[in-house]
Amino acid sequence: MSETDNKDSASNDSAIKPQPGKLPEAVDGGSENDAVAKEPLLSREQLLSAREDSAHLREMAADLREDAVQLREETVTLREHANPLFSAALHGQDSSPTESIQEATSILRQANEHLVIATLEAQKQAEQIQQAKDQLDYLAHHDALTDLPNRILLQDRLNQAIELARRQSKNFAVMFMDLDRFKHINDSLGHAVGDQLLLSVAHRLKGCVRHSDTISRHGGDEFVLLLSSIEHAEDAALSAQKMLAALALPHRIDRHDIHISVSIGISIYPNDGRDAETLIKSADTAMYCAKESGRNNYKFFESNMNALAVRRQNTEAGLRRALERQEFILHYQPEIDLHSGRIIGVEALIRWRHPELGLLAPEQFVPIAQECGLILPIGRWMLREACFQARLWQQAQLPAIPVSINISGVEFRDKCFLKNIRSALKEAGLEPRYLELELTENVLMQDTDLTNSVLHALAELGVKLAVDNFGTGCSSLSYLRTFSIDTLKIDRSFVNRMIGNQDDAAIVSTVINMGKSLNKRIIAEGVETPEQAAFLMARQCDEGQGYYFGYPVAAEAFTHSLQTGV
Amino acid sequence: MNDLPRHRIIKILTAQLPEKPTDAAINLWELMATQIISVIGESGFSSIYARSLFLTQSTCPWLPADSTAPEEHRFAALKKSLDGQPPSQANEANNLLLTTFTDILASLIGETLTNHLLDLAWGGNDALDRSGNEVQNE
Repeated sequence: MSETDNKDSASNDSAIKPQPGKLPEAVDGGSENDAVAKEPLLSREQLLSAREDSAHLREMAADLREDAVQLREETVTLREHANPLFSAALHGQDSSPTESIQEATSILRQANEHLVIATLEAQKQAEQIQQAKDQLDYLAHHDALTDLPNRILLQDRLNQAIELARRQSKNFAVMFMDLDRFKHINDSLGHAVGDQLLLSVAHRLKGCVRHSDTISRHGGDEFVLLLSSIEHAEDAALSAQKMLAALALPHRIDRHDIHISVSIGISIYPNDGRDAETLIKSADTAMYCAKESGRNNYKFFESNMNALAVRRQNTEAGLRRALERQEFILHYQPEIDLHSGRIIGVEALIRWRHPELGLLAPEQFVPIAQECGLILPIGRWMLREACFQARLWQQAQLPAIPVSINISGVEFRDKCFLKNIRSALKEAGLEPRYLELELTENVLMQDTDLTNSVLHALAELGVKLAVDNFGTGCSSLSYLRTFSIDTLKIDRSFVNRMIGNQDDAAIVSTVINMGKSLNKRIIAEGVETPEQAAFLMARQCDEGQGYYFGYPVAAEAFTHSLQTGV
Repeated sequence: MNDLPRHRIIKILTAQLPEKPTDAAINLWELMATQIISVIGESGFSSIYARSLFLTQSTCPWLPADSTAPEEHRFAALKKSLDGQPPSQANEANNLLLTTFTDILASLIGETLTNHLLDLAWGGNDALDRSGNEVQNE
């Protein structure tokens, strides 16, 4: 039997669960604090404090042991005193035997008294030490924030499940769960809210499992569920659906209604792995596929997923190298005045000059960069590069036009975002009005307080703001009134279909009219044909961008376009 | 719990408490305390008593936590908490407390001496005599 066989389960933790902030002084026979703790949670600070208390307890136990030894020694001394008195009284050597017996009895009583106290003290100490050991053992096997089993305990339970399933020729499932976009919440609302959210999620997940299952926190926003006994793979699918449904309702935390979903990967013993490590890895791989296919869903592991996972890992590693080796470049696409045909702006678009795969478009690596956090250094590089290039064109006496770059939600909510903008502008010597930041509607609608304050600061700085892919995100338009938006970029999907589809044509016309009424610049994206350009001009759209006017090109080629005006 | 003779004696004594069960319960404690203190002293008794209260509190959390009281009011807190309970519950708790106490005592001074002291304390009790006979007849 393994070392942790008798650990209490996730859904029924009991006697040895530590009390927040302190270790119970369990067995001193008096205080109310002796009672075992009922409160299930320990913060990181409390965990630290519990460990300190435990060390203190051990020191105290050592002192008490010394006291007990002293008491025993005193007992022996007392008995040694009493024995001659009894002996003298019995053999008539004492002048008053009754007094001697009384004195000897009293001494013996005293000795017994010491012995009783010393023995009880010793028992209490042994129990205290055992309890402290149990508590430390509990802490070592449970997550301090959620009180769920941690990965060590999960590993142990998995090993037991494997052993049992092997003997009984049965199946079990491992579900790897990762919260979708948890990092954004942590970054924007702070770690305290993030921790509360994790607690709320843990609570809901715990409510979805049977007593015999183990739901563990694997670290960060990852949870792993061991479904210890399933008849068919469909049983695991039902559990996954239950988990997804449990998380569908918003979490009310600190005045925020937070929506969070989860992506789930499922592996089945023995098909997807015969050891704990492989089973978790397979479930993890399947989870990534669930994320890639739109999040908030579940996927069973398939052997070809390994190839995808390897490719993804390679991309991530390659991105890190690309930053060091400066493999990224910017391509520039013109924004055109539809009436005059002049270049009135430029959008900087990132490309990765991959040493083996050639030039990669952003959709081939930006999603991965966003997931692994590399989007922040990549975004900083892009911002700086675009500002320097815009300044170079100005220094070359070319027409001064604003350069726009796309900003992801991760970058926008980064604490250093404003600082990075200021320093990029300063270092390049570019006036803020020549920088335009493109944000999607979804980025603008998340955490409106933060959005408002950042946008306000940007507007004060003089940087221009554009809503990218307008019409595809959040349906509320009130943000156009709330935020200082300069430009609306009509999404290419509407522009592509507006000639043959009346609805799309109506949407494009409406956006143009609305934008003009609100004094916004309107740019139609994805203009590819002269018919589309004519359609837009007929509806008083002033600006366009797309292959019809010019493909994204390297800085040198775009310099030429600026020089010739074509 | 093993059904030792002294357990049965305690069970019988606590089950047949008369109209004022708490007074009778405290009387059992006082009789026992006198005999035990003569062997292990006041502090020895208090030590076992405190430990028994603590252990029994897991089942009867309403029992007094503080057992430190002057000799003459040694059982005042126990009396008060037993008084606050319905007789059946009070008797059950007292049964458990006495059993725990005598178990600890027996673990320290042995079963024979414990039984001897209990006999000295409660020997005049009819129930004890009957129980003793029952034990002998088995």
